[in-house]
Amino acid sequence: MIVMNKILRLSWANIKKHKLESIALMILVMLCMMLCASAFGGIIGLKNIFPNMMKNTGSYENYVLITEKDFDDKFIDILKEDDRVEDCARSEALYSMSTNYLNALGKEQSMYMCFITQENEAKIQHSPMETKLSDSEIAAMEHPIYMPYSVRDSMNYKEGDKFEMIYGTRKFTFTVAGFYDTALFDTPNSILKMIVSESDYHVLEAILDKYVVLGFNDFKGKGGTELFNDMLKEFSDYSGKDISGSALGITYEGLKMGVTYTAELLLKFLIVMSAVIIVCVAVMIRFRIAGDISEQIVSIGVLEGLGYKSTDITLSYVLEYILISLAGIILGTGLSLLVTPALISVGEIVSGHPSGSSVSSMPIAVTVAVILAFVAFISFIRAFKVRNYPPVRAFRKGQGDHRFGKEHFPLRKTKKSVHLRLAMKGFLKNFKQNLGLTLCVTISTITIVVCFVMFNFFSGDMNAIAVSAGVELSDLRVELMNTSDAYAFAEELVEIPEIRKAVPTSGFTTYLTAPDYNNDLMIPVALDDFSEAENIFPSEGRFPEHDNEVMITNMYAKLCKLKTGDSITLDNVNVRRKYVITGLVTSATNGGMNLYITMDGMKRIVPTYKPDTIEIYLNEGVDADEIRYSLTEKYGRSVADVAQDRSDSESYEERIRNEAERKIAEIMANYGVTHVEYAIQSGDTVIKGNSDGFIIKSIMNVRSIMETQLGAISIGIAVLTTLFMIISVFVVMIILFILMESTIRKQRKEFGIMKGIGYTSRELMLQLAFRIMPAALFSVAAGTAVGVSLLKLLTSYIGKVSVNMPVVIILDVILLVFCFGCAYIGARKIKKISVCELMTE
Amino acid sequence: MSSSILHTEKLCKTFSNGGVQQHVIKNLDIEIREKDFTVIMGASGSGKSTLLYALSGMDKPTLGKVFFGNEDISGYSNDQLAVFRRKNCGFVFQSIYLLENMTVFDNIMTGALVAQKNSTELVKKVGDLLKKVGIKEEIWKKYPNQLSGGECQRVGIVRAVINDPKILFADEPTGSLNSASSRDVLDIFTELHSKGQSIVMITHDIKTALRGNRVIFLSDGAIVGEYEMPIYGTDDLKKRRDGLQDFLDGMGW
Repeated sequence: MIVMNKILRLSWANIKKHKLESIALMILVMLCMMLCASAFGGIIGLKNIFPNMMKNTGSYENYVLITEKDFDDKFIDILKEDDRVEDCARSEALYSMSTNYLNALGKEQSMYMCFITQENEAKIQHSPMETKLSDSEIAAMEHPIYMPYSVRDSMNYKEGDKFEMIYGTRKFTFTVAGFYDTALFDTPNSILKMIVSESDYHVLEAILDKYVVLGFNDFKGKGGTELFNDMLKEFSDYSGKDISGSALGITYEGLKMGVTYTAELLLKFLIVMSAVIIVCVAVMIRFRIAGDISEQIVSIGVLEGLGYKSTDITLSYVLEYILISLAGIILGTGLSLLVTPALISVGEIVSGHPSGSSVSSMPIAVTVAVILAFVAFISFIRAFKVRNYPPVRAFRKGQGDHRFGKEHFPLRKTKKSVHLRLAMKGFLKNFKQNLGLTLCVTISTITIVVCFVMFNFFSGDMNAIAVSAGVELSDLRVELMNTSDAYAFAEELVEIPEIRKAVPTSGFTTYLTAPDYNNDLMIPVALDDFSEAENIFPSEGRFPEHDNEVMITNMYAKLCKLKTGDSITLDNVNVRRKYVITGLVTSATNGGMNLYITMDGMKRIVPTYKPDTIEIYLNEGVDADEIRYSLTEKYGRSVADVAQDRSDSESYEERIRNEAERKIAEIMANYGVTHVEYAIQSGDTVIKGNSDGFIIKSIMNVRSIMETQLGAISIGIAVLTTLFMIISVFVVMIILFILMESTIRKQRKEFGIMKGIGYTSRELMLQLAFRIMPAALFSVAAGTAVGVSLLKLLTSYIGKVSVNMPVVIILDVILLVFCFGCAYIGARKIKKISVCELMTE
Repeated sequence: MSSSILHTEKLCKTFSNGGVQQHVIKNLDIEIREKDFTVIMGASGSGKSTLLYALSGMDKPTLGKVFFGNEDISGYSNDQLAVFRRKNCGFVFQSIYLLENMTVFDNIMTGALVAQKNSTELVKKVGDLLKKVGIKEEIWKKYPNQLSGGECQRVGIVRAVINDPKILFADEPTGSLNSASSRDVLDIFTELHSKGQSIVMITHDIKTALRGNRVIFLSDGAIVGEYEMPIYGTDDLKKRRDGLQDFLDGMGW
């Protein structure tokens, strides 16, 4: 007990002696504790979101949406007969990818929307509606709408607010009546499902696609994508037409992943960051103990002479760092108690569902135990080296421990700066210490480089993201009526001065399956000439040019062990064709299932295939929404539009023209007519017209959709990468400060002598700063190489993230200057070394 | 009479410890003459070392001025003093203070390269000086803890004179050496002085003091006596010793 008391006093005295270093170390432990405990707490908290959501909503686990025109009642029987399916229900909803809404700034923003009635919602989910309004207030409301929680939490809508939906040139204004929890289509980042009144639903029915919604549960382990693919195949086989293009499937795993995947991934990055910090803490503890032993070697000898065992002295060091860590842990725990609820709350907002979780003490306890055990282990291993210094050897200041090997950088060979040469001597003398520094700076550089590239990438323009995603990002994507001729219309579009290019392509209406690979559903991206594409590039091989060639994604190639030159067999209903893989594209969109194929290639497997979509590229500075409006106005009329256009105030000629257009709409919708011209004589007047106004089914502002869907993720990544960069820079700064402090302490006498013989403090500070530069140079180069390789490895799976090497090199230079600056400033304690004090001691 | 190389005006040095002030040097005026071998003697605590550090720019005075020639160095910053020292001063310490992690040669080069740039000439000069003080070539690549005390001090002297200092300060240079080594070291000092090197040396030892031509006796931070002698080797040693002994006896030594 007495010995323990003495050990405690020794430790405390050491802490007090090196207050600043102890505080720096404590801050790092605090950061580590806060990040790790908060992230663990957050992950545990978010784990409840999905089961809570499923319980609250009573939702089915899997959904399939099939367009009403392609649905057959027999499909339900097929589903029920499958022994993997446990329970199922049928409902219906309206869904469109061409809908916009007016955001808080009054600007039109694209968002995928789904509308459903309360009655149909009850067939698949029974989530209670939450509202602050009374029944009478809701009853008095015009066009009430219930929206998912995410709209309230992340888009800041509240009861009574107006929600303005825009489709084509038409605007529909709803009033928010309340909010509800939904498992299906829950956030604006994916699709937003909203509950509207029966009457509003009927109005929307005229313009939006109606889908039959099949909800079903499967026996665990038997469902998933395989069940979905098999089901679509069976539906297609039964109906004799390809159903895959008209179907949208959401599996249990998909629902689960959509809820917390992004938030959990970001939290896992926090844990990685805390691991980086703890490695740096270990290196710093080693620096400090080495410095302390060297400085206090004579005192150690005295203590040993007085009867202390080397284990006692070792324990005093261990206790010192445990005390420092405990202080950091206490502060870190306090911060994590504040941060964890905030993280859970952000997770709830991002996912759009309540978690019902509170802060758990378990992650805090585990983190505390891990940090303390780690600190104790590291400090014990380093401090136990005092056993190498028995009293007499310690009195001789460790002499006998010196090994004089090769003489490095002899000064007689100095050609230029003596300071540089002395710095290099110092670098080699402290080689082990520099290895620790190299490790810390390398890890920090990797973090900084990866975060910097990701930050730039996600805060940059959407083109970079599109290239990385392997999808074509035009300005507007026009979906044509079934009857329209895409090539003729594209030619007409390029005549418009604001449009620089119009490229016919495939919409998401036809899917192909890969029979050799679990019948995976492949989503074709078809173009006549891929050199026309601005965002799709093969990372390996070349574009497909002939009708028997395709490109697949890197991700799919890795998954199926396919490579350029291999063949892949594809199915569409009853047609099976083999294609040669000419190239690979880095893309993780659609789960890496994109298939890049020529139009002729598509016709080879789907003989009736024709492009139904046009990618429109606008000239620089042209407002996409203005063009979208004018195109919709001119070419985007529909039966519903025509029906709505009836007005008593119109002139006789206008009424005739409207009636003619109504007829045209009916003929085109019902009989597959592609072009109609009319001429009606009324007295002396001939009223002429044609079907040109019925070409476009819908127009999507692609960039606006990407901004809506990626906006939150981009902000999250930007915030997180910035946080990581700041922490990494802070860690490097603290490490360098501590290293300099410990070096000065260890070599105080040497620096005193050098000051005595005429070296200025500034020159010695420069020498010390130069001393770390070889380690810094190597670390920054190695960190950059590893960081870039990591990014390449990552991007070979998920998409191509472009690394701007000149910018990364500039970043490296800034990092090196920063390291030099920190070391220089950290070495300022040299100024306090008094030559006299040294001489008279 | 030689001209003044260093002089002070009302030099004071006060140390403060726990609020207690200790006046070590009190209004001291001293003149160090060029080419003199000045020996400062006095009892322990008389302020010898403090005076040496103030004169050499190792420490700043609390009050008063220190002039090197006509240059007032008492207002210099620490870095200015360091530059001043490297250009003008050489130091030999009792504890020698060689850099333990450097070879003999590098210890001297460290001091030399900070003031001079031509390393080729320096290498030759260092070699010549080492040979002159009796350090054989096989020792040049050894480290200080592989050398005897006398060898270390001879290396220390070479380091002190490598930049041809205008003045050489020595703080009890033989204090930690045996008599044979002491004699060798003192012979080097005598030789340097005979070639015109200005030297200021602190010592307790009368044998060492005999090598000087001027002895200043310090008591309680003030000069209480001064004794002049002919240059060492030019007079009768016994007579020289008796003269100095009489002076010191008079000072209460």
